[in-house]
Amino acid sequence: MNNPQFLLPNAVMDLVLQLLFTGIGIGAVYALVALGFVLIFRATNVVNFAQGEFSMVAAYLMVVFAVDLGWPYWLSFLLSLAGMALLGAIFNLGVYYPLRHRSFLPVIIATIGASILLANSVLAIYGPQPQVLEGWFETPGIQLGPVYLDSQYLLIIAVTIVMVAFNYWFFEHTMLGKKLQATSQDKEMASLLGISVSTMIMITFIYSAVLGGLAGILVAPVLFVSIQMGSTIALKAFAATIIGGFGDVAGAIIGGLALGIIETFGAAYISVPYKDGFAFLVLVLFLVFRPQGIFGERVAEKA
Amino acid sequence: MKFTRRDFTAGLAVGITAPYVIGSARAQGATIKLGMCAPVTGPAAESGGYAVKGARIALEAVNKAGGILGKQAELIVEDDQTTNPGIVLAFSKLAAESDIVAFLGSIRSTQVHAMAPDVLKLGKPVMIGGTDPNLTHMGNQWLFRFRPNDSYSGRVIADYGFNTLGKKKWAVLHSTDAFGTAGGKALGAALEKLGSPAILDQGYANQSQDFTPVVLAIKQSGADILGSYFTYENDIGIFARQLRQLGVNIPWVGSPSITNITALKLAGPALYGTFGVADYAEESSEASKAFGKAYRDVVKVAPDNQSSWPYDAINVLAAAINKAGSTEPAKIREAILATRKFPGAEGEYNFDQNGDGLHGYNIVKNEKGTIVFDKHIEFTD
Repeated sequence: MNNPQFLLPNAVMDLVLQLLFTGIGIGAVYALVALGFVLIFRATNVVNFAQGEFSMVAAYLMVVFAVDLGWPYWLSFLLSLAGMALLGAIFNLGVYYPLRHRSFLPVIIATIGASILLANSVLAIYGPQPQVLEGWFETPGIQLGPVYLDSQYLLIIAVTIVMVAFNYWFFEHTMLGKKLQATSQDKEMASLLGISVSTMIMITFIYSAVLGGLAGILVAPVLFVSIQMGSTIALKAFAATIIGGFGDVAGAIIGGLALGIIETFGAAYISVPYKDGFAFLVLVLFLVFRPQGIFGERVAEKA
Repeated sequence: MKFTRRDFTAGLAVGITAPYVIGSARAQGATIKLGMCAPVTGPAAESGGYAVKGARIALEAVNKAGGILGKQAELIVEDDQTTNPGIVLAFSKLAAESDIVAFLGSIRSTQVHAMAPDVLKLGKPVMIGGTDPNLTHMGNQWLFRFRPNDSYSGRVIADYGFNTLGKKKWAVLHSTDAFGTAGGKALGAALEKLGSPAILDQGYANQSQDFTPVVLAIKQSGADILGSYFTYENDIGIFARQLRQLGVNIPWVGSPSITNITALKLAGPALYGTFGVADYAEESSEASKAFGKAYRDVVKVAPDNQSSWPYDAINVLAAAINKAGSTEPAKIREAILATRKFPGAEGEYNFDQNGDGLHGYNIVKNEKGTIVFDKHIEFTD
């Protein structure tokens, strides 16, 4: 094991900055996927276990449009997101809607079933070969003093910041956002006030699928496009939502970033093989000592 | 095409009678059956497909040349899902078919370990590609290896880097699964024997999404050469890119996965200039060239070790059963162990009493994405 503590202060600082950048980058990916988890949970009280597969499907759509068909990157990007919106709508109608009056358990099992169906459909159509998707920028990255900034990670961080701002504006300052919030808080009351609950839930699924897809497309150039890419990210994102406080948008973002940073520093300073362990160790600690998460409230009542 | 009622009835009739027809064929023992566990799904599904194709190409040639014991041979493939529970399940399904005479196991050591107790219980020969040296040294007489084991790859990596490239400050990077741990240990031991123990021994867990801490550890260690044992191509791809991005350009000699075509596709230029030990190198012998041609004709991509070892396994196995003149497990075992100077795609097979068929490796270089044969290093001890 290499112990960087023994190095000169300057070198330590460089190391810390490099690790911090990587941690924030990978954490931003978790945060984006976690956001999708949270939105669906708030609207339906159900954890959508196919959220990771949304990311995977979007990455494959990107490969189909941008690589196989050779269409421009921005057009492929828009088409992929449109495809995800469609998938979100189908998912709502096929998986959630028929079971909406049942308890949360059948719905959760249905989402697990849907995730297996999605993964194996892509496997059947596209085959098991991992694919390469180029990043958005020609330059792979920038050398900023001692720290190398990967351009794709920079993009991921920027998009996450934009999405956080957008979510805040959308949910707090638009009528649609407020309707969505009202639906997630109390469906009965919302429908008494003339809000179409099923439309709101439809919008939530579409938006979550697009968000998950966005994360998948952004991370594909870094992690490659493979059938498993969704499930590995989703597991961490799920942990991030619990750490942040299930059902809390800010919590999902903070939880995702915290997880990314903790596992990166844990790997560098304690143990590389146990990198994934740190994420879940933190998760367990939270479940034991603060089950409602950083920002959460009354989780016990919901669960 | 229209689907008429008559088609439906005919289909139904065939569907109902098929099991009986097939059953009666089985009863007559019309074919010699060989079982194969391969990843049809899971992280290694792509290379699993290559493995099955390699085996089928060999089987077709064997059948054309008269088959096994005068009968046509048949390959039955079960999906091992690239997991340990998966291969245990797949093998138990195959083992339940009592007329299967021999099996092909996995190229992954960890999976071979998982299935090994069942192999011992069944008592029939299983050909393997896993390269953990222990597999043939743990008292399981039914495992036969068709790739050189890691005690050789470790020695070849150390020998090449130390003697040919003249590098003394080694960083050793390995996966923490059975394959990677055994490989890392073998390389470490070989370096110690050369009087140049590794200055960094770093493990990593499979399917990592980020290797920044690993790259920084290598950078800080001041190593002037890197030896690696990677299990999955995704991991090599991500690591190789981050290694180059963070400015590490020391020579890199890797285990066979560094030269496989999926890794080359994913990592692209990040792997240019690296060296790898390869059990299969197309230019290394006449038999290797012949396999390469046959494989390219059928599959249309370059062959690699994923497909060459099952190809050799089927060929050696067919020859051994023919020589034994029987499908009795003990006789097949004797005949395989007696195999000498058998020209295979991977090299010349000379089985030792442990069940290891090969005892050396090729060193290849990645020249702008093309794998070029450099030299063969063989050990006799």
